Amino acid sequence: MHDALVHLEAVAKSYRLGRVLVRAVDGVTLAIPRGEFMALAGPSGSGKTTLLNLIGNIDKPDSGRLVFDAVDVTKVPLHKLAPLRRESLGFVFQTFNLIPVLTAWENVEYPLLLRGMPKRERHERVALWLEQTGIAAQKKQRPDQLSGGQRQRVAIARAMAGDPKLVIADEPTANLDSETAGRVLDLLAEINQNTGTTFVFSTHDLALIGRARTVVRIRDGRIDDVRSAAAA
Amino acid sequence: MLTRIAFRNIFRNRRRSAITLAVIVFGAVGLILFGGYKATTFNGLRESTIRRSGHLQLFGAGHSDIASQKPLEHGIESVETLRREVERDPRVRTTAAQITLMGLVSNGDKSETFLATAVEPEKDRAMQATRLESGSDLQSSDQDAVLLGRGLAASMNVKPGDYLTLMTTTSAGSLNAIDVRIAGTFATGVRELDDRAVRMTLPAAQELLQSTKVEKLLVFLHETSRTEEVRSALAGPNVEIRSWSELASFYHQVVLLYNGIFGFLGLLVCGVVVFSVANTIMMSILERTREVGTLVAIGTSRMRVWRMFFLEGLLTGVIGGVLGVVAGALIALLINRSNVMLPPPPGFTVGYPLHILLESRALVLVFAISLTTATASAILPALRASRMRIVDALGHI
Repeated sequence: MHDALVHLEAVAKSYRLGRVLVRAVDGVTLAIPRGEFMALAGPSGSGKTTLLNLIGNIDKPDSGRLVFDAVDVTKVPLHKLAPLRRESLGFVFQTFNLIPVLTAWENVEYPLLLRGMPKRERHERVALWLEQTGIAAQKKQRPDQLSGGQRQRVAIARAMAGDPKLVIADEPTANLDSETAGRVLDLLAEINQNTGTTFVFSTHDLALIGRARTVVRIRDGRIDDVRSAAAA
Repeated sequence: MLTRIAFRNIFRNRRRSAITLAVIVFGAVGLILFGGYKATTFNGLRESTIRRSGHLQLFGAGHSDIASQKPLEHGIESVETLRREVERDPRVRTTAAQITLMGLVSNGDKSETFLATAVEPEKDRAMQATRLESGSDLQSSDQDAVLLGRGLAASMNVKPGDYLTLMTTTSAGSLNAIDVRIAGTFATGVRELDDRAVRMTLPAAQELLQSTKVEKLLVFLHETSRTEEVRSALAGPNVEIRSWSELASFYHQVVLLYNGIFGFLGLLVCGVVVFSVANTIMMSILERTREVGTLVAIGTSRMRVWRMFFLEGLLTGVIGGVLGVVAGALIALLINRSNVMLPPPPGFTVGYPLHILLESRALVLVFAISLTTATASAILPALRASRMRIVDALGHI
């Protein structure tokens, strides 16, 4: 537990859907060790994305405690967590969420600019991660000139260029065909193995679930089952 | 990078940006054209006022005493001495002595009231205060000659070469009359004045008034802007001085009216620009909600998001302002070259050319207004974008 990068303790989150109060996350306690490759699996509406948002510090729990890298961030307002997200987190979204007016290179460079990284180091890192994700040849192209798989590779390069402690990936293969999804999956697993970066992703994709080191099954906002590959 | 994103986003939806820029450009063009027309009108009115009345008018001490009723009671005794003294000042271009008087004019069958200005003919010609319509101009040597306003000549049924009798009260308070020959007719452009106006020589007026004094000495300067400093320099116990501004109530009324209209139009234009730019940025934010969510999720601060949308407003203002000023200047030049004539304004008898005065100061002001308005209209939408909840923004479709 002391080695956990993220520690959630009885975390709950509700939101209102019309007149109905939905308990999206209902008292979840979970530790995410450093270097983990963890899948949050479960049916639609089970609370995977809400839990992922809480872990990624882009949403606040109603109750419970959330510790990120040994810092209790439960009571810190979201806008004050911008530096933490900038320095320690990378995000990969189902719909890629690249900045449409920026080229692939600029999209990867943007979070490094936010950090105030010197130009030389910045350029080295952007070049390295575009190379690592196999998208270097398309560095001058804008998102609308790239295929889905290429866009997701740029998104992965953007998430990784800042050398984050944790990468949050919400359904990273859901908008890709199975062959492209397989390649993206290979890439994520390879990065995890080579860099030791912690990955937590939500998915329906059985292939992705099968590649995860730990699978956390969520049902009705609660953890139904936690199974590690070693145990399986 | 923030500037790059803002700049590229302006051209992301080209049609919408083009409409917004067109609104700013039309606004700027409107301000330049109306402002230039206003400036031309003010300048023209000011210069014609000065041409008629001089930059300064020097009267004898006691002139403004309302108890004084007799003509030339407080007139200037020795105008040549005063003239020499005044013309020593290098800021003074020239001087002209004048007398104004009222009385009755008769052709034997009919009498009308007249309002005469006695002038030094050579100086009066240089002032170009009137336009000769028929006959010949006044000459200093021709003391019994007068010019009649167009309306008065028609009313008295006279033409150049005919004779009339002028009658008025003398400086001593008695009545006096002289016969005068019509040298010609003139127009001032103001109908009411043309129906009563007479121009005559100073000696003729002095003969009629039985006085050797003149009423006032008009002082013309090289530069209008130095009026007040020359006034201070000429001040003394034996003279009363009035500036053209104090005598030009019509000019001030026009300035007040035009400034009111211009101010109102300016407000309308600014309002249209504010709503247009704000609408564009709001639409842009709505379309880019998920993008804003992504930017904040990956660590962009609220302030940076605000700055990005604010920059979009600012850049829109810069582009629109530059295009507007260039378009406005070009259209103004085109209008000035096309010699468009405007109809006579109320009370005037002649039209005048439409001219748009282009001053660099006015162009800078219009650019500043376009820029400020477009930028200010981005503040609130930008604030709204910066305060979006990340998960709501990311979930936006």
